[in-house]
Amino acid sequence: MENNAKMVWTGLSPDDAREALVVKDKSMRDKRMTLKEAVSRFVKPGDNVGIGGFVNIRQPIAITHEMVRQGFKDLTLSFQSAAMGPEILAGAMMVRPDHCSIKRIELAYWGHEAFGLSPAWRYLAERGLIEFEDWSNYNMSARFKAGAMGIPFIPTRGPLGGDIKNTSRTKIIDCPFTGRKIALLPASNPNVGLIHVQAADMYGNCIVRGTDATCAEIAMASAHTIVTCEQLVSHELLVSNPKDILIPFPAVDAVIKVPFGAYPGACRRHYYFNGEHIREFLSLIAPMCKGGSPDALKAWYDEHIFGVENFEDYIEKFQTKKLIADQAAESYNCERFA
Amino acid sequence: MTVSTDYTAQEIIVVAGAKVLENNKIVFVGTGLPMVASLLAIRTHAPGLIPVFEAGAVGPPLHHGLPISVGDSKTFTGASYLKGLNGAFELTQRGFADFGFIGGAEVDMYGNLNSTMMGDFPDGYGKPKVRLPGSGGASDMAASCDRTILIVPHDKKKFNEKLSYITSPGHLDGSPNARYNAGMQGKGPYRLITTKGIFDFEEKTKRMRLIHTFPGETVESIQAATGFELLVAADVTQFAPPTKEEVRMIREEVDPLGIFVKRAAK
Repeated sequence: MENNAKMVWTGLSPDDAREALVVKDKSMRDKRMTLKEAVSRFVKPGDNVGIGGFVNIRQPIAITHEMVRQGFKDLTLSFQSAAMGPEILAGAMMVRPDHCSIKRIELAYWGHEAFGLSPAWRYLAERGLIEFEDWSNYNMSARFKAGAMGIPFIPTRGPLGGDIKNTSRTKIIDCPFTGRKIALLPASNPNVGLIHVQAADMYGNCIVRGTDATCAEIAMASAHTIVTCEQLVSHELLVSNPKDILIPFPAVDAVIKVPFGAYPGACRRHYYFNGEHIREFLSLIAPMCKGGSPDALKAWYDEHIFGVENFEDYIEKFQTKKLIADQAAESYNCERFA
Repeated sequence: MTVSTDYTAQEIIVVAGAKVLENNKIVFVGTGLPMVASLLAIRTHAPGLIPVFEAGAVGPPLHHGLPISVGDSKTFTGASYLKGLNGAFELTQRGFADFGFIGGAEVDMYGNLNSTMMGDFPDGYGKPKVRLPGSGGASDMAASCDRTILIVPHDKKKFNEKLSYITSPGHLDGSPNARYNAGMQGKGPYRLITTKGIFDFEEKTKRMRLIHTFPGETVESIQAATGFELLVAADVTQFAPPTKEEVRMIREEVDPLGIFVKRAAK
């Protein structure tokens, strides 16, 4: 067996993850609370945080804003492909390292596709300010899946052949059944999963439209899960077609209704990307990669996060016309009756 | 079929990429120019092409236009199957994807791609000279699609004997059965499309081989822009320039907002 890196569980070990669920209150109870309360109860220094969504789709942006407001320390961020979620967290570390710090990132991709590269990723990595471990989209998704399945590892083809297997905790074995090489990836069991969905009930049952991304796997693998939703609906409506439920209530610890909770990213059926705002935010970070001043970025955080009480106040800063246009763009993508 | 006189380097890549795709095949489409090329193929010679996007959509008709992201809402509408990332990659690993269509920042003569970092490796991995976004799904497509089509802008700095990091494995070191022996599936890189021409990978050596030059380029000019020795097919031909109609479709129908295909400065 090729042993590439010393095995360290960077979230919960499989046994600890199991124990966390065994002792958890799994009752069907009202889990509505404020985002402030959810973040202060469930995000702790040193936590491994699983981030839901995919690139700029259905990222838990409102949750990251609240984390920045409250401050966070020594976090490990785990995700497949993410964009504004880690950008907001990392940008905060760039302007207020005393208040916000990321220790490590386990990822497949951090960038914004058509909207550009991630300047915060470049800044942190190229200065050696964080640890990181590269995986692929399938690798990270399969690692969350293994965590959700309650097994310590999962075999995949993904990292074979290239260097990902050499810079990660992948182990390559000869398959005991075929004799061919196969990669084994360690399960990921985050301490807390951050998920934004289209609809939830007060118990935490969730319905997702469009891609499931890896949200169910993250929620099921994590010791705790915070859910924000565009629409908070009655339990009766939510369970009217039980097979629609992507995440079941016992996996969820907090439910918060946050319209535009993934903005300026997109959320199927609700709003399309606000690319201008994404680009504008990135343009405040980019100069810092070349040694520029943090003042403009700091001013953005002061105005949009530290200077407001909650995410609703941040959304209020956008022109209503723009918000409606982004909703209209999305209703073009999936035309339907209201 | 009048020939376009003002097409750009990206537009000829898109046209070439579309032409490599075959009708009625499943193509796992990476972000950027592969999306534009796939949509052009669907709207020209390959209406039965079935795109798969890694966020989970299988076979969407893309009636609402070019997706900005491989997780774009436009990929979900009308899809025949839609789960999440595990669902998409499991299909690929199982053998449902005839083609994988990906890009990279750096390529070597065996079609291995780098989209992770530039700098010293392994010593500089933790503090790279330039940090790139990372694999995304590209390394999974490279490991498990039956054949892969690669897009890399042609530049001597990007065509290197040795990559800083192999993100998406191609034919590895070119040795016989290298991919199979590493545990991978699929035949590996099938075509490479650059800003200067189209390449295949010679059967025995698995080395990059020039098969078509783009207009304005010669075997010599392409070799001069490549950091290793290219093989050249005996019957290398010039790739026909895009037609006016193809360029019009890209500009007016496929990517009218210039999301991935940048407009030439006027």
